[in-house]
Amino acid sequence: MHPLRLAPAAVLLALANPAPGEQPAAAKTAQAEGSNSSKICFADSVLCAKTPARALDAARVRRGRAVYGRYCVSCHGEVGDGRGYSAPFLDPQPRDFTRGIFKCRSTPSGSLPTDADLLRTLRGGLYHSNMPPWEVLGDRQLRDVAEYLKTFSPRWVEEGPGEPIEVPREPADDAGSRRRGEKVWKEQGCFNCHGNTGKGDGPAVSSLFDDWGRRSVPFDFTVNSHRKCGTTSRELYVTFMTGLNGTPMPSNAETITPEDAWHLVHYLQTLQRR
Amino acid sequence: MTLVRLHACAIAAALAAVALAPRAANALPAFGRKTGLSCSACHEVWPRLNDFGQLYRDNGYRLKRDRDAPVDQDPSYWPIAVRTTPGYQWLRNTLVPTDTGKVTTQTGSFGFTGLDIFAAGTLGEKLSFLITYTPALKQAGFGLSPSDGNLESVWIGFNDIFNSSWLNVRVGKHGLDLPVDEHRTLTLTQGYGIYHFHPQGSSVTWEPGNNQVGVELYGHSALSRARYSVSFVNENQAPFSNNVFSSPAVWGRLSGTQYLETDFIAAVRGGVFGSVGFHPTSSRFYTAQPGAPVPVVGTDRALKPYQRYGAEAHVQFFSLVTPLTLSGVVWQGTEDRALIASGVRDARFQGGFVELTWTPDIRFSVVGRYERIVNRQAGSDQARSNVGDTTIATGAIRHTFELTSRTEAALHLEFSRFASTAPDGVPDKLAALVAFDIAL
Repeated sequence: MHPLRLAPAAVLLALANPAPGEQPAAAKTAQAEGSNSSKICFADSVLCAKTPARALDAARVRRGRAVYGRYCVSCHGEVGDGRGYSAPFLDPQPRDFTRGIFKCRSTPSGSLPTDADLLRTLRGGLYHSNMPPWEVLGDRQLRDVAEYLKTFSPRWVEEGPGEPIEVPREPADDAGSRRRGEKVWKEQGCFNCHGNTGKGDGPAVSSLFDDWGRRSVPFDFTVNSHRKCGTTSRELYVTFMTGLNGTPMPSNAETITPEDAWHLVHYLQTLQRR
Repeated sequence: MTLVRLHACAIAAALAAVALAPRAANALPAFGRKTGLSCSACHEVWPRLNDFGQLYRDNGYRLKRDRDAPVDQDPSYWPIAVRTTPGYQWLRNTLVPTDTGKVTTQTGSFGFTGLDIFAAGTLGEKLSFLITYTPALKQAGFGLSPSDGNLESVWIGFNDIFNSSWLNVRVGKHGLDLPVDEHRTLTLTQGYGIYHFHPQGSSVTWEPGNNQVGVELYGHSALSRARYSVSFVNENQAPFSNNVFSSPAVWGRLSGTQYLETDFIAAVRGGVFGSVGFHPTSSRFYTAQPGAPVPVVGTDRALKPYQRYGAEAHVQFFSLVTPLTLSGVVWQGTEDRALIASGVRDARFQGGFVELTWTPDIRFSVVGRYERIVNRQAGSDQARSNVGDTTIATGAIRHTFELTSRTEAALHLEFSRFASTAPDGVPDKLAALVAFDIAL
């Protein structure tokens, strides 16, 4: 068996015997690339049974660790917990990868993102944050570091990424659609957080916290057309229907129809024009 | 204690200091403070830029995610950084003339290489700037003489004109777009000789290695894999001639990078460059009574041309993150006979260098460079044709033991040999440096 396929099992082993101050899961994964770990995995079918949808590629993990060490560690930290030495001075805070929670996904709320989702964020960065666009690094380095990020959380061992949601054809962006979108905006209570004009100054702002207990500031749609997880109509639709995991922004997949989600997209785009 | 032992002790002490230093692992720290990124994000090894750093620079110090303008920064943020290199330097020069004949001199001293004070960043959404000030020093680093203060760089940049990355302009004193940026060299005792070379007897003061005052038009593809730069500048320190542009020089460079992303070759880069400049050869003089004739500014005429041109190739082996980089540059120059003292024909020279840099770890780098410059045709019959032929060999090891987004400290060990043919021999200069290169 190629040693790569054994890496996730080694992560599980490491998690089963945690010790204070010990190496991160990533380090365990690296160790698992050796032959000793592979024997353990072969002998323990229970552990091996917990193979993720796709085993991590050890060569990519090894190369990705080097990429992470050069470019990412100052913000996301050595162990991927979002506590790099620059983190205290950043707002919003860098993502904590150890919980396997990701904002920008094409997959249903609560599920893991696809590789394409991770690569999209890596390539394009995140507007209104300190996450730069890393497209210049090239496909290979980005794929490598995306693989390495998965070693920080056991979720990637226990489950595969979610299935991307279906995005129906966009209806015409006309006055009727925008009026309907405004109605949806009110019915869904979007104004509670984002305010009546979309400035992010709704009455519920003071009660918003993210999954790490940090104050969460709703997005101000009026500044410009750049959105956190993408600016195109399709990307806004996906954001409505999948939510931003780890933040108070929920998925609307259970509460509005796909058609209404499109109307909401059209209405939202008018807020920036005002 | 012999001198050799002293040197050994100094190196050992420096190594011990590094071994005991804390293992926190970071270029212009002002940028690090602004972006949160480690120096290693922009620098293959500080101060040399990697592709991400090159793109950041080409974009006018912007990441382009709505966080670049000064009004987006914390009010307490000031874009200022400082760099200096204290340490020990040993020098040995052969064939130094004295009243009692030629001798070999030797010096060894603690000192520093100078002090750079930087301010750089954005002035607005598409406005960038850089100021580099080197203050006057009563004791000039490793030398004995005071140094003059200098504004090494001072420019304002207009970026993405007409929303195109292919149209950017810098106005002011700026560095030319060179095959390997001398201001970001990994060697401290020797720069790139070819950037400063002149044939014997030349009156030209154009040196592409020095920052120049003028206008640069540059552009790049979205990821800066394809780039061009054209600078229209004054020839530094040349007489002001009687023209709308007194001593014009144009430098241009075109370069491209291809990522191969294989396990053996990660990327290749190639480029061509060249310049043409014009230097005045005659003046009108004014003689005050009593006094010597002095040239009158603005009367110089008869501009004569000089050229430089060449090609470059760079190969990054194994990895883009921890590469082994092989660079080769070939260079040729000509200067009009009127620009050479007692010139009877145009002067021509050729040169180039090969440089190998290995960065196995973001904190450690080894660099070796061999450079050779030869005169192909002397302009004058009064000197031997090989006078000025130059050979430079430099090797350095650099270990960055403090690397954050706020500070950087590196131990720098270097040895170099510079030999240049003189009319009566080939004097050489040996230099060794053990220093701490710090930036904050």
